[in-house]
Parts: sequence; structure tokens; C-alpha cells
Amino acid sequence: MKNEDLIPADEICVRYKVEREFVFSLYESGIIDIVTIKETAYIPYDHLTAFEKMIRLHKELDINLEGLEAINHLLRQIQKLQDDNLRLRNRLGLYE
Amino acid sequence: MEFIDYYKLLELDRSATKADIKKAYRRLARKYHPDLNPNDKEAQMRFQQINEAHEVLSDPEKRKKYDEYGKDWQHAEQFEQAKRQQASSGGFDGSFGGGGQSYSYSGNFDDDTFSDFFEQMFGGRARAEGAHRGSHFKGQDYNAELQLKLSDVYKSQKHTLTVNGKNIRLTIPAGVEDGQTIKIKGHGGPGIQGGPKGDLYITFKILNDTAFRREKENLYSAEKIDLSTAVLGGEIEVRTFDGKVKLKVKPGTENGSKVKLKGKGFPRYKKEGQYGDLYITYEVKVPRNLSGKQKELFEELKNTGI
Repeated sequence: MKNEDLIPADEICVRYKVEREFVFSLYESGIIDIVTIKETAYIPYDHLTAFEKMIRLHKELDINLEGLEAINHLLRQIQKLQDDNLRLRNRLGLYE
Repeated sequence: MEFIDYYKLLELDRSATKADIKKAYRRLARKYHPDLNPNDKEAQMRFQQINEAHEVLSDPEKRKKYDEYGKDWQHAEQFEQAKRQQASSGGFDGSFGGGGQSYSYSGNFDDDTFSDFFEQMFGGRARAEGAHRGSHFKGQDYNAELQLKLSDVYKSQKHTLTVNGKNIRLTIPAGVEDGQTIKIKGHGGPGIQGGPKGDLYITFKILNDTAFRREKENLYSAEKIDLSTAVLGGEIEVRTFDGKVKLKVKPGTENGSKVKLKGKGFPRYKKEGQYGDLYITYEVKVPRNLSGKQKELFEELKNTGI
């Protein structure tokens, strides 16, 4: 992974106005990845969308960490079903 | 343009308190929040409606104006103008001055922030303020899979992909790998409340229709050589991805030994003109069903100690 694909966790905390503990809780829940290089924690750029989504749900809907974990799990299932659906539709399109 | 009943949208009656409004908004936002309803346009539209209703009813000034004019909202702006004129000129001339104004019907909540009703009643400024107060959501990312043959991705080629009914033309660079995902920015779902469009992620499934094994940009293949060629050396013709080439076999080549043909592998992804290597493993053919003469010759060789 290139360095430019990593965003320092501290910078994220400042920018999104969240506690460091919250970021690490998301990591412990498996919602985002954290990479540590020379004692500095970074969030991979491609995990930023998932992170922002969780921040929105947490701040706008008052959803706690346990709720975010459950939501994340269900959203992944929805995503998988939608991907399967799209793939099957595309495949069906070949025969129509 | 139709009147929008914000109380109805939040499932409240007109006597609802600030706390009731907040509670109702939270409850409905949890139900229709776009992050919880991926790819659901109906839910996204409902969320925008709820947001708009909350924007009006949670703001005492806007709520007062909304309650005051109710279904006569179309005249609200004229009343307001008249009030302002009256205040500045010291008199009210009774003219609304709205004779030439026309309204077009648009009850839809599109990808934009708020309804035409909201804009008409609270003005463009309120709309802009509301837009900044509300959350902007990036549209849903779409994922698609594209199956290609290995022989197809040796050269760059154009493809048309249908995703959610839309044809997307894309150039697939030579050397794309099995399982590789590329992002096509802005080809996902529409943004919500002025947010940017989502992205399209295409994952390639590469089916190997060749005799070569591929590892990144390197190719691997096996070539059978005669026993005599292995022992004495010689020249053979080998297959590469872009045709046959002649190759010298060193005398004393052992079974399973490898040679590298530099630059005869697979194209490096997005590095035009650069190729990996082709590794050829020799498989020495042990002769069977020998003729009498051949057997004799082998016996002679055996007697020499080979």
C-alpha cells in the first residue's frame, strides 16, 4: 500500500470532530482498517467511505457502536445481494 | 405546484411540540436514511421530504410562516412583499403585484435539495441555507463483474458494459488481472441532496483460454523436447503469446530445466510497451516403442557407460 493511500487517524479525528477512541472502536468492530507505521495510526483511503457513513449514522441518528456494528453487517449483506442481483441481470441480458 | 403537508409527512398533528417534531424526525430518519437504504430511490425521496419537513417545522420562524399561510402559501410571498412595502412607504396600497407570476407544477423531490414548494415559500436563500445544513450524500457505488478471456486482455480493447440499464463504454487496458477492480468515477448512483454521484467498480474475471499459466505479467509454459535434442542440443520452435519463435536448446538440457524468454510475457498493466517474461520448462520425451535398430543403438550407448 502506498503512503498516499493512508490518512493519519489523528487528522481524521480533527476533520470529522470525533474522538480517537471512536475511530479505534470502529477498527475493533471490523468496520474499518487501521494501519500502524512507526507508531502512527492511519486509515486506508478506500475505507474512508465506510468511515464517513458510520460517522453520519452515529451523529445524525444517534446510533451507538453496537448498532453501527449490526448495521454494517446487514449493509454488507444487502450489498452482496444487490451485487448478485446485478450480476445475474447482466448475465440474463446476454441471453435476451 | 402542490401544497405539501409537512405535519402529515412527519406523522404529526399541528399542535406538535418541538420535542414531538424532533422525535418524529429521528424515528423517520432512521427508517429512510440513505445510508440504511442503499439503491432505494423511494427511501431517498422520503428522506428528503422528511428533511424538508423538519427544516421547516423545527425552525420557529419558518413554522410560523407555514402555519400562518397554510394552503394559501402561494400568496405568502405577495403578502410578505406587501408587508415590507407597507413598512417602508408607510402605507399599504393593497396591490399584491403578482399578476404576471406563473407557477409550474412540480411536486417531485428530485436529486436536488428541497422541493419547489419549499423554494417558493421560503425563497432561494432558505433553500441554499437548508442545503448546507442538511447532509450531502455521495450516491451509491455500483459493483459489476466483467468476464474476459486471457487472450482478450493481451491487448487494450474497448468494451460496452450495461449497468442498471445504462451503456458504459470503457477501454480496458492490456494486462488487467483476474480479480482486479477498477473504479469508474461518477458512474454510480445519483448523489443525494447535492452530493456527488457514486462510482462504478468493475471487477474482472479472467478465464484462461490458453496453454499458458499467468502470474502477474509473467507467463509460464511447458515444451516437450526430444531426448536427442536434450542430450546433443539443437533448435526448437516454441509458442509465445504473440506467435512462434525459434529457441536454441543447450546440449545436456535436463528434464524440468527452465529457460526465460525476456519480454515475451504478458503486458504490464498501464505500462505501454513493457512486457513480463515467458518461462519455459523443458519436458524431455523418453522414447517408447523403439525399433530394433534404435534398441541396438541404445544398447551400444549403454555399453559406453551412459
